Amino acid sequence: MGFILRRLVFYFGAFLVAVVINFFLPRMMPGDPVDAMLAQGARFTAEQIANLRLTFGVDQPLYQQFFTYLGDVFTLELGHSTFFSNMPVSEVLANAFGWTLFLTGTATILAFMFGATLGIVAAWYRGGKFDSIASPLSLVLQATPQLVFGIVVLFSLGVTWDLIPISYAYDPELTPDFTSWEFLKNVLLHAVGPIFCIFIVQLGGFLVPMRNNMINLLNEDYITMGKAKGLSNIRVMLNYGARNAILPSVTALSMALGFVVGGALVVEVIFNYQGLGSVLFNAIVNRDYQLIQGQLLIMTVFMLAFNFLADVLYVFLDPRLRKGGK
Amino acid sequence: MSVNQANASVHDKTDIQLSVRNLCVDYITSNGDVRAVSNVSFDIGRGEVFGLAGESGCGKSTVAFSVCRLHKPPAFISGGEIIFNGRDILKFDDEQLREYRWKESAMVFQSAMNSLNPVLTLEEQFCDVLLAHTNMTRQECIKRAGQLLEVVDIHPSRLSDYPHQFSGGMRQRLVIAIALALNAKLIIMDEPTTALDVVVQREILQKIYQLKEEFGFSILFITHDISLMVEFCDRIGIMYAGELAEVAPAKNILTKPNHPYTEGLGNAFPPLHGEKKRLVGIPGTPLNLFEVPVGCRFQARCPYVKDICRKEYCKLTEVAPGEFSACHLHKDGIVDIIALEKQPVQG
Repeated sequence: MGFILRRLVFYFGAFLVAVVINFFLPRMMPGDPVDAMLAQGARFTAEQIANLRLTFGVDQPLYQQFFTYLGDVFTLELGHSTFFSNMPVSEVLANAFGWTLFLTGTATILAFMFGATLGIVAAWYRGGKFDSIASPLSLVLQATPQLVFGIVVLFSLGVTWDLIPISYAYDPELTPDFTSWEFLKNVLLHAVGPIFCIFIVQLGGFLVPMRNNMINLLNEDYITMGKAKGLSNIRVMLNYGARNAILPSVTALSMALGFVVGGALVVEVIFNYQGLGSVLFNAIVNRDYQLIQGQLLIMTVFMLAFNFLADVLYVFLDPRLRKGGK
Repeated sequence: MSVNQANASVHDKTDIQLSVRNLCVDYITSNGDVRAVSNVSFDIGRGEVFGLAGESGCGKSTVAFSVCRLHKPPAFISGGEIIFNGRDILKFDDEQLREYRWKESAMVFQSAMNSLNPVLTLEEQFCDVLLAHTNMTRQECIKRAGQLLEVVDIHPSRLSDYPHQFSGGMRQRLVIAIALALNAKLIIMDEPTTALDVVVQREILQKIYQLKEEFGFSILFITHDISLMVEFCDRIGIMYAGELAEVAPAKNILTKPNHPYTEGLGNAFPPLHGEKKRLVGIPGTPLNLFEVPVGCRFQARCPYVKDICRKEYCKLTEVAPGEFSACHLHKDGIVDIIALEKQPVQG
């Protein structure tokens, strides 16, 4: 229990640091929300500009804004968006949150499942045909920017062959109704493109470390003993090899899931998907401080939460750590 | 091939548990294949403890792993036969091999620390082997595992513990307990006590001996500690550069060596009793297997080397009842090493 408590204290410290950075980072960009509006061709009088600045609170000295912000963070008041017609930030984020969780979460978990499995197989048949093709290929895929996949998939599948929709999370003429199969099918169809792009880029990130861990482990004596015991290959591969090799990958998965709410900014923008990535992109372009802060805040919380989950899972998966906390 | 040359054994046919015939194991390297084990033949009788000794890299572990066909690439068995209970295990298909492993011949590895799976409980590691080879239910397996733990003096309540919760000596006993799980007829022990201190070594060896007496399995015992081996084994094979140099009853191996290499090994160990003697090493370095000479492999380091040793290869031959040597000098009965030993040896 001491272990978990100490981790929690650490995460609280990390949270505070992130909260401070989240405040200053957006404000270090040149311009403010009103400048951004003017830059996009809005016409205001000097008086209106002063009023807007007063409304947005950007006329106050930075330290004063900071303390207001700190108070808001701990009362869970995220303020109002300047860009999305003065909607509460929490509402803007809540609308986008589910879509992103679905999109990136699915892609990440799929990438982990396929990546880890293929990594195990590649390591077991190391140097074989599958290993010599899959392992380098997955590195190439991993090194390719999401942008490239996004555009290639959008144009080939979406435009040229017209197999998948090229925009939105579902057809705008449909009313969202999560109990209707028609609607769900539409959502799935819209998600195929973006999910594939996020999946394919992450695949190598799970496959290659899994393969390398596993290859190192296959030289361990307990693997030889597993074989000597006359166990089936599949059992030695999974219970003796993969069960040990998966430990570092669990951390990687947890980190990746922590990034999930960051959204796949590029992919969401390319496919015009209404997730958190698109929201963040618009917020940054429009200097929507409250919205950026809010988005960064959930990213922080998610990141920390999944790191914590990784710690706990690790203790669960690796018996050697269980007594280590004392 | 004469009959006595092939059978480095004193047993009659029915009494043989394992019979290794002309075993050759090669390693594939970028400089060509290296023969790490060359024409090794020996028999192990039922209930017998057969030791293989030799310096590091002489091929003794390679032989041990080959007996379970556990050698890993780049090693491969390039020739010979390994007859276990009348069946050649080199001809087994994957399923036969899987059944043979552990049920017929179990193995205790050198590093007790690393041969148990760190993330599985002991119960799991006992049960998986029992379930894979028998029709026992899980409950029966757990019961059997508990009995096995008692055999090696560990309390059955510790079945739910993980390997890291045991000391090194205990872990080696655990591995021995797992090795006993299926009443294997042969247990291969590859330096089972090397990683342990001398007190625990003795404890483990006594345990193994007691279990052997109780269950009657044969042991193929690998070590480079020849004094330990003399005490523990019935017969000993001395390996040099991938070949058997000598096979003889344990009690004779140090007192009446039949090969200059064995004699050199004997001189390199301090006697426990008697006057203090200066220890003498074997000059030179182990053979590079890429440069195998014509004739005897030990010629460059042998103090008694003769012309014939550089020209003619010497097979393992019975030189006295139950004693085999691969040395020209002994085969022809030209010299008596004990007599030669009386001459001053350069220190």
